[in-house]
Formats: sequence, structure tokens, C-alpha cells
Amino acid sequence: MAFNIKIGQYYEADSPIHALDARVKLCCELAALVAMFCAGNPAQLVLGAAFTLSVVAASRIPVGRIAASIKPLVFFLAFLSLFNLVFVQSGAPLLVAGPLRVTEGGAWAAVLYTVRFGLALMLGSLILLTTTPTELSDAFDSLLSPLARLGLPAHEIAMVFSLMLRFIPTIADETSAILDAQAMRGGGFDEGGPVRRVRAIVPVVVALLASGLRHAEGLSRALDARCYEGGEGRTHLHEQRIERRDLAAVAIVAAFIAGMALL
Amino acid sequence: MVATGTHELAERGADGDAVVRLSHVTLRYGDAAALDDVTFEVPRGQRVCVLGANGSGKSTLASVICGLLAPDEGSVELVGEAVCEDGSPDLEAYRRARRGLGLVFQNPDDQIVTSVVADDVAFGPENLGLPREGIAARVERELRRVALTDYAKADPSRMSGGQRQRVCIAGALAMEPQVLVLDEPSSLLDVRGREAILRVMGRLRAAGTTLVHVTHFMDEALAADRVVVMEAGHVALDGAPAEVFCAANAGLLESLGLELPFDLRLQLAMGSRDGAQERVDGDEAGAEARATSAGGLLPTEVSVEGASYSYGRGKKALDGVSFRVAAGESAAIVGQTGSGKSTLLRLLCGLEAPDSGTVSVAGQGTGTKKGRRLVRRRVGYVMQHPERQLFAQTVAEDVAFGPRNLGLPAEEVARRVDGALDLVGLGKKRDASPFELSGGQRRLAAIAGVLAMEPGLLVLDEPTAGLDPRGRARLRELLAKLRARGVTLVQVTHSMEDATRADHVIVLDQSRAVLDGTPAEVFSRANEVQLKACGLGIPKPLAHARALEDAGHAPLGDPLTIECLAAALRRCGHGTDPGPGAPGVGPAPIPREEASADGL
Repeated sequence: MAFNIKIGQYYEADSPIHALDARVKLCCELAALVAMFCAGNPAQLVLGAAFTLSVVAASRIPVGRIAASIKPLVFFLAFLSLFNLVFVQSGAPLLVAGPLRVTEGGAWAAVLYTVRFGLALMLGSLILLTTTPTELSDAFDSLLSPLARLGLPAHEIAMVFSLMLRFIPTIADETSAILDAQAMRGGGFDEGGPVRRVRAIVPVVVALLASGLRHAEGLSRALDARCYEGGEGRTHLHEQRIERRDLAAVAIVAAFIAGMALL
Repeated sequence: MVATGTHELAERGADGDAVVRLSHVTLRYGDAAALDDVTFEVPRGQRVCVLGANGSGKSTLASVICGLLAPDEGSVELVGEAVCEDGSPDLEAYRRARRGLGLVFQNPDDQIVTSVVADDVAFGPENLGLPREGIAARVERELRRVALTDYAKADPSRMSGGQRQRVCIAGALAMEPQVLVLDEPSSLLDVRGREAILRVMGRLRAAGTTLVHVTHFMDEALAADRVVVMEAGHVALDGAPAEVFCAANAGLLESLGLELPFDLRLQLAMGSRDGAQERVDGDEAGAEARATSAGGLLPTEVSVEGASYSYGRGKKALDGVSFRVAAGESAAIVGQTGSGKSTLLRLLCGLEAPDSGTVSVAGQGTGTKKGRRLVRRRVGYVMQHPERQLFAQTVAEDVAFGPRNLGLPAEEVARRVDGALDLVGLGKKRDASPFELSGGQRRLAAIAGVLAMEPGLLVLDEPTAGLDPRGRARLRELLAKLRARGVTLVQVTHSMEDATRADHVIVLDQSRAVLDGTPAEVFSRANEVQLKACGLGIPKPLAHARALEDAGHAPLGDPLTIECLAAALRRCGHGTDPGPGAPGVGPAPIPREEASADGL
């Protein structure tokens, strides 16, 4: 039962999207996502799709890789679309089969919500694919620094986030090892009735917790040994600098949002 | 600062220039003293190796030296900072001292903080608040030193264990520590990874960096300037490798839970003429026990024919692998990281079906879901670091997990739990929490959980990795016992010595089985070049014989064990003397400078 988790894994490529300043990238992304979620008519949906697909193309990331990073949520997308199809009952009926009634409104809602959500997912995964965790945490650090004056541990939050990304593949590997080991000992999720299957979660979770604690202990030792003492006095290998291409990106996203508002 | 140049080399060991000073240091965990009145100094530029069994206090000593643990009593001076006086730590001094101390420990996964190699190496210098250009220069320099320049932008989670550990070393060195502490840095690595780490250490020593190296591998200690052996929290032996590992100390070293280095073992084997005889007797006894006790278990043979497997659409992880292991036989699978060993084990366990070809255990194929389920009932799988999967409140509960899942009656569960715990020698620990056990005991507890399923075939993935010599010896005993009971054994191992103990060796390289036969067949002279190409060594006794032959010695045959080598040498008229130029002739683990210094 090998997991193959691709969430949050950086994909190295030489593209204009990779080259953007991470802070600009994050803000543009956020603005574009909000605009995407406001899409309500077909024209807006088409513009949104065109925008997303051109950003994807510009990032030079293979489509397969993006598909892989949103794959875990495909099931959810399918459910969302089915739910809308069956339960939204506005407009003229398109198909009636016994208790099942699909209406125009339902069909539209199914398309709208699914496409909108799918596009947002693609944009979201793009930021993790084109930005290294270090750049991301530096960007968070810098963006949240005004809040640090109010006592928010901005740097530490960014650091925790970056460590989380780093440990996702490690924990995923361990989870699959634990599941395999327990399956070999007659446990696991694919044996017995529903009650037994639910109870099978407990040993997996306990073993995972123990391994999480072990990692935390090792990590704290490593952070101490490498003189990590929080954000104060730290310098950065990578410089964050706004350049012309960042301004261009802001202009493009502004144009996209304006387009969405006008349509 | 990393000192460079011959000037520092000449001064190595000079008195009065100690970078680490411990005087009368005692440190307790609860009631148990991990360090007990330890007085210890490390002069600048020295390479010190710290040895000792698990629980001897050597890891605690490493933590004290790198400024992560303050003792309860005694004084500590690190890189010129008096960090602790009579048991009262000066936290500010500790912070200053830590900037001059580096640490690399066992598991690289816990030490890498980000997912880009160069960014990780930069992490320490960033914490020190260095200017940007300085950091970039250090990152480049250290990546070059550990030979990872081409991996600067790579994701460490996709690199091998050895490469990841080198990233950690580069990260520590980029902080330019005066003392680098290495706490079992190679215990989780394969042969090639371990050799690369030793090469880096040789280079650091030449550059004058003070090294404190904790290890379970005696042969690594031979290259040090000084060896310190810990026992029960104090220093039991302290001296140059040649002094510590002399024949007169052999008994003492073994009682301290250490393995003897190869040369010393050979010397002793030459002395005791009945060594080889004993081994033969042992084998016969095993065969007898096999014949008598096989009744309780169904004979389980394994047959793999043309099995291929790939993850997703990627490259094949296994490509047309075929072999057979007869019932009651033991087989060793060797091959370097990424050769497909772990995938092969997953197929044998019925966790995965081959894409093409067949895998069958006791005649049951794994092609169907039902078949795999039946196979899983007959196979016990001890994966890498099985102790990481312990979860229950007591050892006995953890062991009972499998039998209970089988729906067995309570008395049968209890019988199996007792049987498995007795077999691994943990009967007295049944009510302890698995998390209170030592590393070696934890592994045995996890193995007991697999044995309680009473498998006819036991599949093990590097069962001795990360254990101390005592733990390794106990595990080998256990495997011999199981074999005597008629259990078929298939183990993946990095240790060529373990491989020679098996009936049957299978060599995997780049997803294919390239060699298959008895240890004597596989490690024959004709295969040596191919084994090297697969990134594998040959067993040490054999390598030693070859080195002697290449230096003009008469042919010594193909000795796979130290006893056979000793016998062959005796036949050639050497008394108890291992032969001309014997110390240092041994292969790999001794860095090149060392070997050449010994006149090779």
C-alpha cells in the first residue's frame, strides 16, 4: 500500500513563474484565487480557465505533475459535481428518472463549482510546485513581519510551515511502512468488518504519533546544534528583491481581475 | 575555523591546546548515571573515536561535547568557553560555544530542515547571521568537499541515505566548527555510503578539523588518532588504536561489548587451531536440529520466476528476476541502494503482485488477491527498523497483535506470545513498555511480534542495521535458532559477512538478479570485477587473502571466513603471525592515505 504523495513538492524548472519573487507570487495568487471563486457566468469561467492554463504553460511544469498533485482531491471534485447535479433543483428539468431529477440549474451548478474548484486547485498546487520551501518561508516571514510587531511569531510560523512541507514525504513513507507491517500481521484496513476496520486505525495512529515524537526529538537536537534561535539575527542565502518581471506579473493579474469584474 | 595547511598538522596533539575539556563530569537520567565522573580532553586537530556498547554513555558524551547537554556535576570547557563550572551551566557561554561546535547524528532525515540541498547547507550559516556572499561561498565549498556539487538544487528526500548524510555533514561544516562531533553517522548506510563518509572524514582530518566520532564499527576506529572505549558511564580504555586493539586486550574488548577489528580476529584465529573445527561442529548441530524439529512447521519454499515490477509508469524496479529458495534454506539478497531489494521483499510477502512472471511461496502464487492473502499468512516480514512500528502499551500486548488478528483463542495467543518472547530472549520484559527498552531490545520485541504469527518463511530487510555489536550478535543467534527450527530465511543485507553465513546468495544490480549461488560460488574470483561494478565488496577474509596474493603471497584459496583464512595461512607456514604486512592490508574502510602509509 505505497503512498505516493506529491503535495507540496517543489519541481525545478527554469520558467518566469519560478523566477518571480515569492512574496509577489503569493499575493498575486491569493488575489487570483479570490477572483476565481467569484466566477459565476460562463464567460468568467472561460477567462478563468484561460488564465490558469496560460500560467501553467508559462511555468513549464508537465501537466502530469500538476494532475498528480491534485489527484487526491479528484474524488472530492467528483462528489461535489454529483451532489450539485442531483440536489440543485432550479430551472427546467433536463432528465427525470423516478425520484432522480436533473435540472438546468443543477447541471450548471455542477459544471460551475467543479470547474471553479478544479482551477483553483491547479493554481494552488502551482505555487508549491514553483517555489522552494525556503523561498516560501522567507516570503511568509517578510509578509507577516508587520504583524510581528503586534506579537505574532511570524518567522516561527513560517518555519513550522516549511518544516511541515519537508516532513510530508517522510511521514507518508512511514505510514505506508506501518500499514504494510500491520497488514502482514493480519491487521490493516482490508480485513474484517467495518468495526474492525475502524479499530485498525488505532495502532496505526499510535505508531505514527510515536514516530512523530521521535522525529521532533531528533529535529530539535539538529536545530540546536545548528544554532537556530528563531528569526532574530538570521540572514538569508536568497535575496528577496522586486524586479520588473514582478511588476509585470502584478499587472497581468490586475488585468485578469478587471476582466473577471467586467464580464 | 577549519584550520588548513601542514602547520596545524604538525601541532596536532600539542599539550595545552585542548578544544574540549571535561573534568569529573557526571550526568544522570533519573537515577541512572549515563556519565560517571568522566575526565577527558581532546587536543585541537585530533581525530578521536568513541566506542562502547549501547547504554555505555557514548551518545551522552557526544551530546555533552557538542554543547547540547549540560552535566549535573563537574566542569566543561568547550572551544575556550567555560560552559559549565561544578555542575552550574552558563547558558550564554553555551550559546557562544555552540557556534564553534558541529554535530551530525544517525538519522539524516531528522537533520535536514528543507527540501533543497543548497538551502539546507545554508541553514546553519544563516542562523549565524553571516552575510549573503559568505554563505553562498561556504555552501559551494562544502558541497564540493562532500562531492555533491551537482546536487545543489536536488531534493534530499530523493537522494540515497549516504548522500543525505553527506548533506548533513556539509551543513555542519558550513558553520566552520572547531570541533565536529559525529554520532554514529554511518550506522544506517550501505557499504558505499559508509566508504564515502569515511573519505570525507579522512579529508577533514588532513585539513586539521578536530573530530569526535562515535561508532559501532571497529574498523572505522583504526583510522583515528585515538580510541576511547566507554563502559557504564566511564572511560574504560583510552589510547592509540594499536594500543587499544592489541591482542592482550581481546578478552576485555569483548566483555565491553565490542567486536574485534579484523586484523586482531585473524591474529587470534591463527593462534587457536581448533577455531575452524568449532564452526563445522556448529553447522552439524544446526543440521541435526533442522531434521528433528521441522515437523511443527510446514516446509516453505520460495520460487520466483521472471518477476518484473514497476511503480507507476516509471522505470522497472525489478526486471525478470528468477531464483528459488528451498524449504528450510537461508538466502541473502545483496545489492546496493536502489537495486530493487526492498521491492523484491514486498513481492515475496504478497504485499504486491508482480507485473509479469510469478512469485510463489509454498506453492501458492501471489497473482490473485486471495493468493496474496494466503501468502501473507505464511510469511513473516521484518522490515527495516521494525522497532519504529511498535505501538502497544506493553511488549506482550504488541506481540499479541498478530495472533489476535488471526482470531485465535486466548490460550493459544498467550502460548504464542510466551513462545515468541522466549525465543528472542525478552521473556522478562513482557510487561515493560516497548518505549523503555534499549534499541536492540526494541528490535527484538518487534521481531517477536512477527514470530508470533509462526511464519514458515521469514523475510528480513537489513535486520542488523543500526545495532551495536552485541545487538548484532544476538540477532545472528536468533536467526541461527530459527533456521534450526526449519524456518526458511530470506534476508537483505549490506554485510558481506552475514551473506557468507547464508546457504545461498543472490546479487541484485539495477533491478536484475545478476549472480545466484552458494557464497563460495558468488564470491569466486571470476565474479570479483562484477561485484565491484555492482557497488559491493567481497567478504573481508577473502579480500585480505587477495591483497596478500597480489603482494606476492602463495595462493590461499577462497577463504570466506576468518577461520578458513587462518587455516590457509597456517598451511603456508605462518605460525601465529598473520602474514607479511597484514595490518592495514584489509580493504576499504581504511582511507587510502592510511593504507598507503602502511606500505601497500
